[in-house]
This record gives sequence, structure tokens and C-alpha cells, in this order.
Amino acid sequence: MAAAVTADSLSKRYGDTVALDGISLTVDTGEVFALVGPNGAGKTTLVRSLTGTTTPHSGSVEVLGTTPERTDKESIGLLPQSFQPPERLTARELLTYYAGLYDESRPVDDVLADVGLETVDDTWYTNLSGGQQRRVCVGITLVNDPDLLFLDEPTTGIDPAGRQSLWSLVADLSSRGTTVFLTTHYMEEAETLADRVALMEDGSVVEVGPPETLVETYGGGTHLQVETTRNAPDVASLDVDAEPTEDGLRVPDVSPEDIGTVVDTLDRQGVEYESLTWTEPSLEDVYLRLAGDGIGGEDGDTDGPAVEAVTAGSEQR
Amino acid sequence: MSSVARVGSEARTAWWSFLRRRTAVFFTFGFPLILVAIFGAVVQTNPTGSGLFGHPTGYYVPGYLAIIVLFTPLTRIGSSIARYREGNRFEKLSTTPATPAEWLAAHTLVNVGIILLASAVVLGVLELLTDWSVALSPLLLPFVVFAVVVFCGLGAVLGRVADSQDGVVAASNAVALPLVFLSETFVAPAMLPAWFRPAIGLSPLTYFARGVRNVTYLHESGLSELLVLALLAAVFFGLGTYAIPQYD
Repeated sequence: MAAAVTADSLSKRYGDTVALDGISLTVDTGEVFALVGPNGAGKTTLVRSLTGTTTPHSGSVEVLGTTPERTDKESIGLLPQSFQPPERLTARELLTYYAGLYDESRPVDDVLADVGLETVDDTWYTNLSGGQQRRVCVGITLVNDPDLLFLDEPTTGIDPAGRQSLWSLVADLSSRGTTVFLTTHYMEEAETLADRVALMEDGSVVEVGPPETLVETYGGGTHLQVETTRNAPDVASLDVDAEPTEDGLRVPDVSPEDIGTVVDTLDRQGVEYESLTWTEPSLEDVYLRLAGDGIGGEDGDTDGPAVEAVTAGSEQR
Repeated sequence: MSSVARVGSEARTAWWSFLRRRTAVFFTFGFPLILVAIFGAVVQTNPTGSGLFGHPTGYYVPGYLAIIVLFTPLTRIGSSIARYREGNRFEKLSTTPATPAEWLAAHTLVNVGIILLASAVVLGVLELLTDWSVALSPLLLPFVVFAVVVFCGLGAVLGRVADSQDGVVAASNAVALPLVFLSETFVAPAMLPAWFRPAIGLSPLTYFARGVRNVTYLHESGLSELLVLALLAAVFFGLGTYAIPQYD
């Protein structure tokens, strides 16, 4: 498959700060590629290097077969980080405005339908909800029907419902063959949407691959987290292979079928607990293992891995 | 053709954005009216005496118009650039076919419209409140247009230099206040020290004020001033285009 984006040894510094440290990656045509990392990892600088809005100090970039500066601007779409369009225009007027900047554009009604804003098309941007505003912004990037779409943290600051709605939209775009380059600090977002994920830290790409492969390779096994009520038991005396934690103990490599057996064993041995949580490994575990801590949203929300709570409660013998 | 369409799209957006900011509309038209009311109707001119307003009202008409063509583009374009930067709109625009020249042309067009309207209102109020009778010339239109182009370009430079809307307003005032009083608008050159008088020629506003005075008050040709102003318009439009952020 032909590469839509190729970056080779990109480096960029801002004073003493290294924003990009020799990054190389490729994004295949039609793929959803997610760049994941905490704030300050260099995600936006990489997007700007790929879209030609900043110039790396060294390295080369090819976008749709040419340099970013020579790329056919009719073929790409960009949603910049923290983008704010003119706020006293309606959703329809904003889409019409941006459509007017291209030689060829999609009918505005079609774009409004794509982003689910047909019923609020005459509402000023400033009066829309956060999720609706974000959908207008994504709609703005779709007016020229781009082959390659850059979305720089498209769901930051919007509620879960708005986020789900945007995920559906990106999935729909992908199914229609649009190449999507997405940055996020929400692991779940990358895991849900992306064909491949690049984990980024301090200007470097730590690992690249399909999310399920990364989880399989680096995520470790499933485990059962036991939050004990008081007096953490001596794990060495238990008949299960457990590790002590701050809140209780952690039993690694527990399949769903084995949960009952482990719980019975703990009960028999007099372990009192507040809750039991069975957890599958996630992309967050991969990131934490490969890049250390530091991942998380601006509000500290890591937006969690795929966690399945099986049991909650306490048992008293 | 597509360039014209892009300018049109940007200009329509800028026009509606302006009209929907009520305080901006009020002060854009209210500020020059307050000035006319104070100096034209309250202080009044004194053609036979001395002092700052020692000439008939017609002498000061270029000054009133100069205030509009100077302050409005400087603050509006500068603030627009600050707003666009804060919302990362230039980053977005730089990935569309729109160019900085088209952006500046569109916003200049909107300013020309606003300033022509404001000028008409000011001239009407002067006619109503003072002893001055409207003496228009067809050359007034190109004078206003070229002056707006000059100060839109300068506004773009200020917008680039200042890093916020507050900074733009402060910088605009710092540039505009000296210009408005040292460009043959309200203060006649004879009232200034002899050593300073050559510096008047450095202000683009001088050519606007001289030219408008020639065609509306002295009834002389203003073509040489118009030519200088046209050249300055080309230079400042180029500088403004260069100053518009291409992001980073």
C-alpha cells in the first residue's frame, strides 16, 4: 500500500527544548494512524511539520507524494489543536466560509449531515455545546473532501457523548477511504479508532504498531485487583500467586473462568475485601511500560483502559 | 477567478463577524461622531481668531476623516490578526488554498466599506451641526481607499508584532495618536517647530490630509498626493502581506 505520509529523521528544537528527536514514520493510504502521548510529547510539532506549518531543523517529509509545501491543498484537511473559528457565525455559515476557500467543495448540507448538525445549522458557533462546536470544527476540515485528514487532539475538552459521536465520524471517514492522522492523549481513543498507533514521549516515537499487537506484546496479562478492607494479608501465606499493592493485592494472569476459584481461595483464607476488579491489559499499560508515567489528560484524566469490573462488594466471614 | 471567490468568502465572513459585534459597530461609528460633536459643534472653529481651531470648519474635514481612516484599520486588522492567532485560524488557513494576500485583501475590502460608511456619517453630521457645507470631489473616494489600504497594511504589521489583542490596541494607540496630530490634520505646520516640519512628510497620513484638503477645501488638484498615497498603499500592502503569520 502506498504511503500517504512519510517522515524521515525529523528533528526540531525550541531553544533548549527538543520537540522532535529524529522521528521517522510512515502512514499508509486509507489508514487511521494515531499519535499518542502526553502534553508536551511533541505531537503538535510533528503535525505541524507534516502539514508544512512549521519547518523541522533536519529530516524530510513527504505528504501525498511531495513536500508539505507543494502538497495539493485541495487534498488535505487539518483540524489544528485548540482551533476556534469565528464564533458569531452559524454552523452553516462557517462551513460555507471554509468551503469558499477551495476550488471544489462538498455541498454544505452533506457536511452538516455527516457531522450531525442539521438541526442546529442556524445556531451561532458560540451558542453550541462543546461537542457540537467540535463537530463544526471537524466539519470544517471535511468541506473539501480531503484524501488526508490531520486531526490534532480533536476530542480534548468535550464530554463523553461528544467524543463518542466524533469517534463514529472518524470511523465512517475511514470506511470511505480517507487517511486519518490523529493525535490524542486519550489511550482509549487511539485503541478504538486506530489501525496503528505510535507512542510518543519527549519528542521520540517509542513504539509503533497495531494497538492489539502492542497490547499483546507489551501489555502483560490480565489480572485481578483486590482492594482489601484492612490489614493487607501476607501474600506469601496465600494459596494464590499474588503481589502486594498499596490498596491490597494483585493477582496476575487470571482468566475470567478462574475468577471464582481465586475468590473462593481468598474467602477460605480469611481475606476481607472491599472490591474485586478484573482488568485486561490496555494500551495505557503498554505506554506506561515503554515510556514510563506521565501520560494523562490536562485534567489528569487518563481516560482509562478497557477495564471490566466483575465484582464489587465485601464479604465478611 | 478562484482567488476572487476566496477573497469574497473571507470578506463576507469578516463583514458578518463585524456586524454581529455590537460594541465594535457602536464604537466604530460612535468614536468619530463624538470627536465631531466635541470639536465641530462644542469647541467650534474660530476663523478670525487664533488658537488650535483657527481655520474654518472645512479646513478640518480632512482631520476628521483622517481619524477614521487611521484608527479603524489599525485596530481592526491588528485585533483580527491577534484573534486569528489565538484561535489557530492562520494555521488552518495555511493548509487551504487561501493566501496571506487574499486574506489581507478581504479584510481591507471590509474596512473600506466600513470606513466609507463612517465617513459618510461624519460628513453628514458635520453638515448638520456646523456651518460647513458638503464639498465633495470624486477624488475623495480613491483617497479614502488608498489610505485604508496603507493603514490595513500597517495594522497587519502591528498585529504581527503585538502578541495579544490588548497589545494591538496599545500599539495602535501609540502609533496613531502622534500621527493624527502631526500629519497636517488639525495642527497646521506653521504651529510646529521649523526643525520638525520635514518630519511631517514621513507620515502617510499627511498625504491623505493634504490631498483631501486640496480637493475639498482649497479646490486644487490633489493628484500628486494621490499618487504618493497609491505608492504607499502598494508598499504597505506588501509589508502587511509579509507580516501575516504563516504560523511558526
